Amino acid sequence: MSDWSGLEFIKCDIQGETLVVTINRPEVYNALNKAGKAEIVKAIRIGNKDEAIRSIILTAEGKAFCSGQDLNDRAVQGKEGKKVDLGHTLETEWNPLINAIRESKKLVVGAINGVAAGAGLSVAMACDMIVAAPKVKFVSGFSQLGLAPDAGSSFTFVKGMGYSKTLEFFLFNEALYSEDLYGWGMINRVSDNPLEEALTMTQKINKMAPLSLELIKKNLQEASERDFASVMARETATQRFLGASNDYQEGLEAFFEKRKPQFSGS
Amino acid sequence: MSNLSFDWENILVDTADLHEGIVTITLNRPKVLNALNTQTLKEIVLTLKELQRRDDTRVVILTGNEKAFAAGADIAQMLAATPADQIKDEREGLWKEFTLFPLPIIAAVNGFCLGGGHELAMACDTIIAGDNALMGQPEVNLGITPGAGGTQRFTRTIGKARASYYALTGEMFSAHEALEMGLVAKVVPSRTTLAEARECAKKMAKKSPMALRLIKESIQASFNTSLDEGLKLERRNFYLTFSMEDQKEGMRAFLEKRSPNYTGS
Repeated sequence: MSDWSGLEFIKCDIQGETLVVTINRPEVYNALNKAGKAEIVKAIRIGNKDEAIRSIILTAEGKAFCSGQDLNDRAVQGKEGKKVDLGHTLETEWNPLINAIRESKKLVVGAINGVAAGAGLSVAMACDMIVAAPKVKFVSGFSQLGLAPDAGSSFTFVKGMGYSKTLEFFLFNEALYSEDLYGWGMINRVSDNPLEEALTMTQKINKMAPLSLELIKKNLQEASERDFASVMARETATQRFLGASNDYQEGLEAFFEKRKPQFSGS
Repeated sequence: MSNLSFDWENILVDTADLHEGIVTITLNRPKVLNALNTQTLKEIVLTLKELQRRDDTRVVILTGNEKAFAAGADIAQMLAATPADQIKDEREGLWKEFTLFPLPIIAAVNGFCLGGGHELAMACDTIIAGDNALMGQPEVNLGITPGAGGTQRFTRTIGKARASYYALTGEMFSAHEALEMGLVAKVVPSRTTLAEARECAKKMAKKSPMALRLIKESIQASFNTSLDEGLKLERRNFYLTFSMEDQKEGMRAFLEKRSPNYTGS
């Protein structure tokens, strides 16, 4: 059993074989301070190590999913003529959080219960699959502060809806809604109960072959960043590796015996 | 040939594929992320020497584990060291001997590949990197300098501006960055790194072992000689291949549209 003690800003609970991570600062719309971000990274790390866990859900308590940077954190305020280094905040806090989600070997499903704003938008969109409640607002907000979108959101949105729509979204900070993002194919489902829907998805995921899941995720990430030939080379290496796995044997046997496979992750 | 078995403290030697000419050496100090101490380097070199005495090895794969190929040196051990300790240490000779192994060594790199570990990978003939590899020369972070190729092989491979950037900032770079810089030959999914290194080794192991040796010698010479000298050596090695049965066999097989059967003579 993993040790989940000492968490102040998030809650972790295990539902079946799924780790549910809930951001728990509803009083500040789930803004994340330094410690809150570190706690999510730690939870994902423990979830990846724990063999009883096969998938992860990221959600939040209350009306908001995440309103991004906690502006009360001293490090991001430039008071008394002192300049701040927001690059440092990204390098040491936000980027590691986004990378922890992207690099998680176990799939991370985002259950977006309410508004996602600022870097909270990046956290939501970094999830592998996304279920959002109806009419949830997605807002960038950076240009309003004289800043530019960060933590990977430039990449995610340009890939998702192209340059011109993204530029408009980032410049004017008008919210996009769950239904809009669903239309762009940037989220998977709109559901009245996103957590329940996410749990339904993870129940399916939990029965799948772990190595297959891990490599499908990684190869698709690479596919959106690299050229056709190198992606095909990755697929070849992947298939050579998976073709030698026990789970492929099990998958084949189950197919011919017309039963459900029992994958072991080896 | 007598049975080949080793009983080392810090490395594992896998000879299961020796019938194909392939030996895999695995750095095995997971608790310290395979920190490269003198004993480990010594075990690698003694293994290579033993392999060199036999004629069944064609290619060696050098690897670590999923988390680390080798993350630097043993810092705790080095803290109290004096220059005299460093000079008396047998590492320098071991590094030299490592480069004298005449057959290809493929580094299969996952995870951290830093400092001495990075220098070890660069001393190999080629590097296959998993996409989770993090490489670099972070010595400057500890108030010291790289000491086994981290300013030399590194600079000759990726150029002055980039070698200086990484060695002077101590910043790490990713497998994909290493690929762009020409430091690694391929980036593959990290789960598949060893399997892909084996594919690469299998391809090499089917070639004429004499050709492998001579090509390695010529390429290594490019680090040490002028272009004229290097070209001269290259041409002599090229001429030399025509004195060998493997050249006749290779060309005959090509014309007869069959696979060659090399004997190494």
